[in-house]
Amino acid sequence: MNRPSPFSVRGRRALMIMKDEREIALLRRQLHRLGMSVAEIEPGQTLLPPEPFDVIVLDADGMPIKSDPAPAWRDAPIIALVGTETPSRLKWLLDLRPASFLVKPLRSAGLYTALVVAFDAHQRRLEELSHVEKLEDRIRSRRVVFAAVLRMMRDHALSEEDAFALIRQTAMRHRTTIEQLSADIVAAGGMPNRTSRSA
Amino acid sequence: MKKPSIPLGLVFSRSGPYAMMAREMEKSALMAVDEVNQSTAFDFQFAPHLRDPRGIVAAYHTACDDLIRTEQVQHIVGCYTSASRKQVIPIVERTERLLWHPARYEGFETSDNVIYVGAAPNHTVVPLARHMLDHMANAVFCAGSNYVWTWESNRVLRDIVTSAGGRILAERLLELGETGVDHIVAEIIERRPPAIFNTLVGESSYVFMRALHEASMRAGLSIPVLSCSLCEPELALIGSAASVGCVTSSAYFESVEGPENSAFVARWKARHGADSHVSVDALSTYVCVMLLARAIDRAGSADVAAVRRAAANHRYDSPQGPVWVDPDNNHCFLTPRLARSVAGCQFRIFWEADTPQRPDPYLSNLDLGSIARKTEDSDAIGKRPSHLRVIK
Repeated sequence: MNRPSPFSVRGRRALMIMKDEREIALLRRQLHRLGMSVAEIEPGQTLLPPEPFDVIVLDADGMPIKSDPAPAWRDAPIIALVGTETPSRLKWLLDLRPASFLVKPLRSAGLYTALVVAFDAHQRRLEELSHVEKLEDRIRSRRVVFAAVLRMMRDHALSEEDAFALIRQTAMRHRTTIEQLSADIVAAGGMPNRTSRSA
Repeated sequence: MKKPSIPLGLVFSRSGPYAMMAREMEKSALMAVDEVNQSTAFDFQFAPHLRDPRGIVAAYHTACDDLIRTEQVQHIVGCYTSASRKQVIPIVERTERLLWHPARYEGFETSDNVIYVGAAPNHTVVPLARHMLDHMANAVFCAGSNYVWTWESNRVLRDIVTSAGGRILAERLLELGETGVDHIVAEIIERRPPAIFNTLVGESSYVFMRALHEASMRAGLSIPVLSCSLCEPELALIGSAASVGCVTSSAYFESVEGPENSAFVARWKARHGADSHVSVDALSTYVCVMLLARAIDRAGSADVAAVRRAAANHRYDSPQGPVWVDPDNNHCFLTPRLARSVAGCQFRIFWEADTPQRPDPYLSNLDLGSIARKTEDSDAIGKRPSHLRVIK
């Protein structure tokens, strides 16, 4: 996957969920200067524009603490605009997992930093998620690998170490993973007899 | 000889959801201005410039911008809600002016360009929570308006109550101005909590108190209500029967003893009518103007930096007792008090701090561990009133 640079913001799309007219005008102007396109909705409005966005700029003071944020927000990094610093408000904010934030009153300075931090944090979060997914797959297939090792130990009278080495070498030769080959062994009730390499 | 004049901005909403409070505050500011202007103790007079943002948050910005540009004010007294104050702070910070803020608020803010004369959370919700735990109940039902004051008051109450082993039974919120309270009242009657914490504001609160009173009478229940904001003029609006018996925490009640307050209340009633009442917010607005006048007098000018320096630590024996600005955080030393509302739209004070308490806007000195230990001690030696159920 081609990793997008967090520094290139041109062409990206922002959704502003804000209510203060002066703050909206200031951020809109600054986002346009950076070459970004902007969509705007009122806080509390649940109907989102159909196009996807790359970042959400959210006025954290704009909606009641007890309200449920729209689930679609989860897909894009959130830049929170913070005015009220009470713990009850910050707790609500933390639950949204903002990627970065700006403290009010807003100025033209600071937005670019907040965008770069948000894009970078979001990219890292996606990479971490995919890494975690891989690790979880591996953990899930541990039982299968173990079953395959036992099978090889029994069928070929091998030690555990040798059985595992056999599976690993065979997987390498067939250009497949240990987990996939183990699943094949368990399914076939023994080392599958294949001449072509598996996908 | 006419005294030289200093322009003073007054920003209060004469219409909108909290107009009743703000009108009282404006009346009080003008009374203080007249007293300063007539007093020989001050060799200047205030020229008040009134602005009415009509309860519209964005209009506070415009009003203050206009006061600073057009009327050249250095000092503004006003705002009631935190939302309006947050509109004003950027302007007073950018132009190096001072906002004198009379109302209590939820804390977690300190601007060099605001003097916070209203109570900080350690003056209001903390003593109320302690009193509830020590003498009333360790479980409480919360009913409030859906905004920052309620969220934060409930959070502090929850922190204190749970660290003492108690719990919040429910947290029910109504939108600001909403008066459909029946479902909350029904739930209270059904669940019979040992106490109710009411952070509803304005009309929502009055309707709630009346409905709760009626339903409680019918059910033969008497559930104590706790508040950090109820004041004398509101007791009149709720009506005498339903407003009695509410345990309230405040830095001022009309019934505060002392010559300064007796004289103040007498002047208030002479000016506004014998059946009028002083609210804590009105009194606090008066204190704002007086603190400002005294600081200008000491500084010899209305210059913001000089006034800020002159106000720091300078004690004023006000109707609410001694008040002075803590220069560490620009909030005020105030005397917290607890009172029970009684017939005649009055509060009977049953506790007050021995001395004015240092403001703690970030509650950084709130020691939850000591509250937990204290509760264990009193449980162990049986100090806790035996008629209270311990609900775990």
